[in-house]
Amino acid sequence: MRYCRLFFILLAVWTLFSCGRDKGDSALEYWSSNNIGEITFSQQIVDQWNLSQDGLELKYQPIPEGQSSEEIILAAVVGKTTPDIYSNMWQGSVEFYAKSNVLVPLDTLDGFMEFIRDRCDSLTIREITSSDGHIYQVPWKINPFMTIYNRDYMDGLELDSLPQTYSSYLNAAEKFKKDLSGDGYVDQWFGNTSVKLVWYQRLFNFYTLYIAASDGLPLIKDNRAYFNNEYAIEVFRFLQEIYKQNYFSKEQQAAGQDPFLGGRIATKFTGPWEIEYLERYKPEEFNYDFYPVIVPDDHEGPIYTYCDPKSVVIFSTSSDPQQAFEFIKTMVDEAGDLLFIQMTKQLPRRQGLDTLNAYTSFFDENPRLRVFAEQAKYVRGIENCEVITEVFDVITQEYEACVLYNMKEPEEAIADAEKAVNVILGSNK
Amino acid sequence: MKPTKILLYILLIGASFTFLYPFYWMILASLTPESLLGDLNILPLEITFKNYQIMFSKIPILRSLLNSTIVATCSTLGVVVFGSMVGYALAKSNFRGRNLLFFIIVFTMTLPFQITLIPNYILMVKFRWVDTFAALIMPALNSAFAIIMFRQVFKGIPDDLIDAARVDGCGELRIIFQVLWPNIIPTIITVAIITFMSSWNDVLWPLIVIRDEKLMTMPQLVTLFAVGGRADAQLGVKLASAVLLALPIIITYSIFQKHFIRSMASSGLKG
Amino acid sequence: MLSYFLVSPYLVHLLLFISFPVIFSVVLTFHKWNIISEMQFVGVDNYIRIFHDRLFWKALLNTVTFLLIHIPLQILIALLLAYFLDQKIFLKGFFRATFFMPVVISGVVVTMVWQQLYGLDSGLINKLLVGIGLGKVPWLTDKNVAMISIAIMATWKNVGLYVILFLVGLQSVPRRYYEAADVEGANQWQKFRFITLPAINPTIFMVTILSTIGGFNLFIEPYIMTGGGPLNSTLSAMLYIYKHAFEYYHMGYSATLGIFFAFIIMMVVVVQKYTIEKDD
Repeated sequence: MRYCRLFFILLAVWTLFSCGRDKGDSALEYWSSNNIGEITFSQQIVDQWNLSQDGLELKYQPIPEGQSSEEIILAAVVGKTTPDIYSNMWQGSVEFYAKSNVLVPLDTLDGFMEFIRDRCDSLTIREITSSDGHIYQVPWKINPFMTIYNRDYMDGLELDSLPQTYSSYLNAAEKFKKDLSGDGYVDQWFGNTSVKLVWYQRLFNFYTLYIAASDGLPLIKDNRAYFNNEYAIEVFRFLQEIYKQNYFSKEQQAAGQDPFLGGRIATKFTGPWEIEYLERYKPEEFNYDFYPVIVPDDHEGPIYTYCDPKSVVIFSTSSDPQQAFEFIKTMVDEAGDLLFIQMTKQLPRRQGLDTLNAYTSFFDENPRLRVFAEQAKYVRGIENCEVITEVFDVITQEYEACVLYNMKEPEEAIADAEKAVNVILGSNK
Repeated sequence: MKPTKILLYILLIGASFTFLYPFYWMILASLTPESLLGDLNILPLEITFKNYQIMFSKIPILRSLLNSTIVATCSTLGVVVFGSMVGYALAKSNFRGRNLLFFIIVFTMTLPFQITLIPNYILMVKFRWVDTFAALIMPALNSAFAIIMFRQVFKGIPDDLIDAARVDGCGELRIIFQVLWPNIIPTIITVAIITFMSSWNDVLWPLIVIRDEKLMTMPQLVTLFAVGGRADAQLGVKLASAVLLALPIIITYSIFQKHFIRSMASSGLKG
Repeated sequence: MLSYFLVSPYLVHLLLFISFPVIFSVVLTFHKWNIISEMQFVGVDNYIRIFHDRLFWKALLNTVTFLLIHIPLQILIALLLAYFLDQKIFLKGFFRATFFMPVVISGVVVTMVWQQLYGLDSGLINKLLVGIGLGKVPWLTDKNVAMISIAIMATWKNVGLYVILFLVGLQSVPRRYYEAADVEGANQWQKFRFITLPAINPTIFMVTILSTIGGFNLFIEPYIMTGGGPLNSTLSAMLYIYKHAFEYYHMGYSATLGIFFAFIIMMVVVVQKYTIEKDD
């Protein structure tokens, strides 16, 4: 019948249409995340670059909205539609792509090593160097984790100082715990952190506290678990105590209104992005501030923290990696970084952030961010490990058993985690 | 009324209440401001459309509604048309391999889709169909269930009708669509409703093959909205998206109730 | 010749989306692959790994637990409600439509709403329980309760369909049988046991098979509600397979899990067919 044939023809035509995109000309292409601030920043930087160049225009596009950006990048890699430059790659994902030969080893490009030594300190450089000795990423931005607190509540507790150590924090939590409605159940907690069992949630509680306690020790070293030490155990014990005494609620945050805004909790571990969120949704008289994350009682010296680092990478499908690198340099030089911090309120990952003259006026206008800039001196990212997702999943299992459900002692939980992680690392050869 | 009758009514009304209340609560909560959500019980506290406003500004929900409609409609069309064709051939023509084919079709119904999930994804990658409607529609154009249903009903149609049509000079395809279809409307409706619904509600496959938000199906979008962080942990907004997801089905269901129920029932019986 | 044209759409479909995937799946089980690099041949490593994979067996156990709770609950409630509806009452259509509504609503919506209802502190069910003097139930935070909670929700969602099926079955029993039993002085229970039950046996069988196949595919509910927790008590087999494929990108191992799981499902269905059909 005529309709049948028409249908088939339409189907065939349409199939052809949807068959892949044309790579077209070989102009460079740059993708950024779809954060509004980053989009504005990227657009400006790209325009500046195009004005200063004679050759082919650099094309720019924010990553399409969708599932996590990791998935979109993976799909692009699989479909061979990757851009030349991508700026929002989580530091932990880099190794996965590097090992699959999808990224350009940047240290092979002219001028890279001096550039990177200027931008980052040696500790950071060591951190971003892959296991094969090459460097596949340019550290771009960080969002250091700190403890946010509700000023009014904290003042109400009449403490001598902010509870910085485990014991003082636990004591304050005990004082703050209340059953306001009198129904026999606590409805006011000192803090909250995610109890979701997704692997990356551990970055915001366990891993952050571990870095703080151990002054930045790695989780994995020489392809074996390195975290079976007093610090990890202390962190587990601290968090376990918190849940045992019901200082944090075990309810998943999804079920209900934001507890910090709603005044049901007094503290939380979070980053600079919280500022914009709070300013947008907070009720009238709401005072808050930040201080470093909690550390063990015997801790000395500056307090390190996790910084959720994102890097810029160049895909190996690029036709001109050197040119791509030149562009990246304009993104992250002093002027570029200043523009970045102004537009996105996120911190660039460069050394000496709080001392650069050009930046002082900015921090004068945004005092809340200055706290983070000072913290930025003491941050750690994440190690290079292809299977970091699985490692964190294993830690999450033990976290759940020990911290949330009190079924194991911290020593046993950490030891079990170590065993399981070594199995994963071993089978990943 | 006898006391047992009264008891019966109480039980039934109670049961109805448990079936309806969650939906009632969901709609009510989506219209309640975030701060009052914790206190919500049965009666409305304060009505606001803010949650809907926020949701509309954050995710392309109407777009996903369109996407779901397109995908479900095309799939249903394909299934009904192709199912009729294959079912007819299996019922009325004698060709080599007919019984073998039928056996294979029945067998595939028992094949759990877990086996084919990943390779189908790889196929989508190879065909460059990832992030296109093709990935959602193409694999859904044929349904063993539909073929079996059509074969069953065609078998019940007397051959004389078909022979008469042939004498009049009808080609086989015309026979199926112009002569036989009018006689099997209930079956067509049944297959259409079931296919449409299962296509509409499918989340797992879109989650795997569609990454671009503009192309997502409605349940997929709402799932990601609920599980991810785009809603800023605002429960009311998430529920607003859930309400919108449920709305088309509730409306269609209210209108076509009888057909829905009859279809599912008869399909279950034959299954 | 024409016949081949007629069945061609299905043949293409069979080849592309069924035969190729099955074969590719089997091939994949002997390899290690993370989608973006080369496939690596590893022999039977994946199969050996399954036997040591405690989480996979836990996932299987969870799925079975779910079925063992969900299916009997479903049959009981559906039968009960169908029995009620079979009596002489008003508003039959309304009740029927109400029970059936959750069946057509997307599982996503149902899960989101029930996640709220099950909330430990702010959930409505617990608020109700506290209000009438009972205590809070850790619906989703206790490893022994979580799967039961999901089973309850799944039953709520699907029972309407089976009410309808049972209604059809109940209404097909000729009234004379009941009248004859009345003459012999049988009571309600005896009538039910000796007339009703045998008559709806095929329906019970069908409900069981449908629920089983559906139950094995349990994925979206734990994915949204609990992510597999607490303590992996709601990690269904499908969720586990999905995780290995789309979170860790262990394509080879995931395919192996998939095939293994599919095999188990087929065996269960066959066993069910034999044991229940024999009772006829």
